[in-house]
Amino acid sequence: MAQQKWRNTLVGWSFILPNFLGFVIISLVPMIAAFGLSFMEWDSFNAPEWVGLDNFERLLRDESTKIALWNTTLYALGHVPLTMLAALGLALLLNRRLAGLGFFRAAAFFPYITSLVAVAVVWNMLFNPEFGPVNQFLHFIGIDNPPGWTTSTTWAMPAVILTSVWRDMGYYMVLFLAGLQSIPREYYEASKVDGATGWQRFLFVTLPGLRPVTFLVLILLTVQSFKVFDLIVVMTDGGPGRATLVLSQQIYRQGIIEGEFGYASAISFVLFLLVLVLTLIQFWFNNRRERS
Amino acid sequence: MIRRRMLAAMATAVAIALPVSACGSGEEPAANGPVTLSVSVWSLASTPEFQVLFDAFTKANPDITIKPVDILAADYPTKVTTMLASGDQTDVITMKNVIEYARYASRGQLLDITAAAKSDTAKKLGGLDAFKQEGDKYYALPYRQDFWVLYYNKKLLEAAGQAFPTNLTWDQYVELAKKLTTGSGQSKVYGTYHHTWRSVTQAISAAQTGGDQLSGDYKFFADQYRAALALQEAGATLDFGTAVTQKTGYASMFETQKTAMMPMGTWFIAKVLSEKQKGTTNVDWAIAPMPQRPGSSKITTFGSPTAFAVNKNAKHSAAAKKFVEFASGPEGAKALAAIGIVPAYSSDEILKQYFALTGMPTDEMSKKAFTPDKVNLEMPVSDKTSKIDTILNEEHQLIMAKQKSVEDGIKSMETRVKNEVS
Repeated sequence: MAQQKWRNTLVGWSFILPNFLGFVIISLVPMIAAFGLSFMEWDSFNAPEWVGLDNFERLLRDESTKIALWNTTLYALGHVPLTMLAALGLALLLNRRLAGLGFFRAAAFFPYITSLVAVAVVWNMLFNPEFGPVNQFLHFIGIDNPPGWTTSTTWAMPAVILTSVWRDMGYYMVLFLAGLQSIPREYYEASKVDGATGWQRFLFVTLPGLRPVTFLVLILLTVQSFKVFDLIVVMTDGGPGRATLVLSQQIYRQGIIEGEFGYASAISFVLFLLVLVLTLIQFWFNNRRERS
Repeated sequence: MIRRRMLAAMATAVAIALPVSACGSGEEPAANGPVTLSVSVWSLASTPEFQVLFDAFTKANPDITIKPVDILAADYPTKVTTMLASGDQTDVITMKNVIEYARYASRGQLLDITAAAKSDTAKKLGGLDAFKQEGDKYYALPYRQDFWVLYYNKKLLEAAGQAFPTNLTWDQYVELAKKLTTGSGQSKVYGTYHHTWRSVTQAISAAQTGGDQLSGDYKFFADQYRAALALQEAGATLDFGTAVTQKTGYASMFETQKTAMMPMGTWFIAKVLSEKQKGTTNVDWAIAPMPQRPGSSKITTFGSPTAFAVNKNAKHSAAAKKFVEFASGPEGAKALAAIGIVPAYSSDEILKQYFALTGMPTDEMSKKAFTPDKVNLEMPVSDKTSKIDTILNEEHQLIMAKQKSVEDGIKSMETRVKNEVS
């Protein structure tokens, strides 16, 4: 019997092995190496030098890294709830019988499959303070002093957040749509019979039914927000000044551009911890609510 | 997270490659016989200088063929850094800028070619000083030396009834730009165009005031910023914010005749010449010296050389050295000048050949602009250069986008350089 069990385990492992091997070589080993590097000074050419906690101490003093951390948090605080709301709203709208439903669903998904560089360049033009359609519209509806968007230190982050919400909402809409369709029809019928209003049905049937999906979306969005890079690089490159500098960009600058891989690894490690802690908190909340 | 993984993946890749590189620098076979020389270049298709040099070199050395390693221009420094770190054996490495050069040289990734840099030919190389490293050693030879001049559109100046610019002061330049600004909306023609780079304001003021961009004391930028902001305020140049958000190309600003003047590097000459030949633009242009500070009798501008270096791990270092010397010498210069590139090697003959090109302006002022009295290095080289560069660039954006006053911007450059660069 014991032999049989051992055999089954081995067979199971052999199925996972190809994928696991890839994970180990491409992700796990480098991750551990990066953790080790964060205690060293390394320019990628000469031998690494052990510096203990120097990199972390520098991190605490480095104004740019602190600004980047703050900006990343701001971005996440804007991007996560807004994208969730927009995606859920779209999913609810497009989860009914409607002429041309397929077209509207595709339209909502389109931004996600559009090249990110194109998205960033076009939105930059839309946000142009003088000639951009966004501000021309604001002028039209009677706002005399519309924001400078990506040319203003105050408005650059909102502009980036708006663009990323527009880009991502279609993708998460699809997840929500799948979730909506897995809620049994009977629940709605039963609540209707009991005299629940549309709002009550949404609150007590739809939302609880969507909990697993909402949780998944929340985790995916949080992780995605904290590692935001490409959109910001193309749209503002962290500017004006350091108004939209984010952590992954700071890691790139310190590591690849400045050649300080130790320090860059230290920042990456902090980013990793941040995302880990946030995810654990979310899991903990989810588990608690599941039990109650 | 992906970013972090990528970094780490690179780290391991490098770690694996290190032992390989150690045995990669073996002795090369005798220099005779056919050799294939690899040369790292950027955007080969749109950078004709490389092919021209290769053709001239292989013609003079029939037993050597050249294999270009083509890299996207924007990724060039990053890619070369990674290549060198992983012990790549590409023979000749093109040094796109001096800052990267200093980094590679100090890491010991380039071959010492001091002997070639001390030869008689090398005495005629503009910008050679920028490659001098500790201990009077050289690891690269410049083959081109670009510097900044003032381009102008003859037709637009004539239409406005203005004389062609000669030795302008900055105040005269600002006034002229205001007078040259016409129209509005889509048909607006600007008096001048300042590209978004910080050098347009900072490097020129450093060169002309004698200020040091690494010093941490930046009060010498103030006059230049006031002039730049005055132009912007008067609508005589495209607003900085618009130029950034629209990703405005300086070449198209000038070639589509949207601006009457434009301070820009001499690399733009070859571009205009070839665009005119292709018929994509019919701009009638000439160059004048950069505007100067009041009371200065000499023409001072800034520029930066581009160079070839030999990789320490090169497979064919003798042939590579030969190429580097050829490209920076008179023969290379001749080939470069033939397509409108400014060679580092300067002689009367080359200058004559250069201005004889079809499409080149032939007036005396253009020639004068082409032989400035002093060309300062765009950005001094030290181990702190790249960090200071980042700070100066960030604050430049804030001043130009009017998020900070000139005084506040300069003050935060000073405090940031003091606090963040150690």
